[in-house]
Amino acid sequence: MSFDTPADNKKFAEKFHFTFPLICDTDRTIGTAYGANVDPAKGAQRVGVIIDRDGKIKEWHDRVDARAWPAEVIKTL
Amino acid sequence: MLNPGDKAPDFVGRDHNGNTVKLSDFKGKTIVLWFFPKADTPG
Repeated sequence: MSFDTPADNKKFAEKFHFTFPLICDTDRTIGTAYGANVDPAKGAQRVGVIIDRDGKIKEWHDRVDARAWPAEVIKTL
Repeated sequence: MLNPGDKAPDFVGRDHNGNTVKLSDFKGKTIVLWFFPKADTPG
């Protein structure tokens, strides 16, 4: 999820063949609710969230490592 | 900041293909939400 437009995220998704939705939070509503709209002059902070089956926060990280986090997440799921 | 056990804030958004995506669409599933600064940028 980012604050980018659908057009920009579509290019990104197609380039890397992503199989998950890239949500385009252009008005930053979701980012604000999840603590990722830290600096309105910048893009989203790299917040990582895991939500459990009951709709509750399982993990919330204010800044995750872009390279390491995917492997860490898979371990916790 | 959100804490473990908090109710996840509900949301409705639009994905890169124009589809509506709601938190409630994933009821009963574990979800990973990952914010990134800008499409197709490193780091």
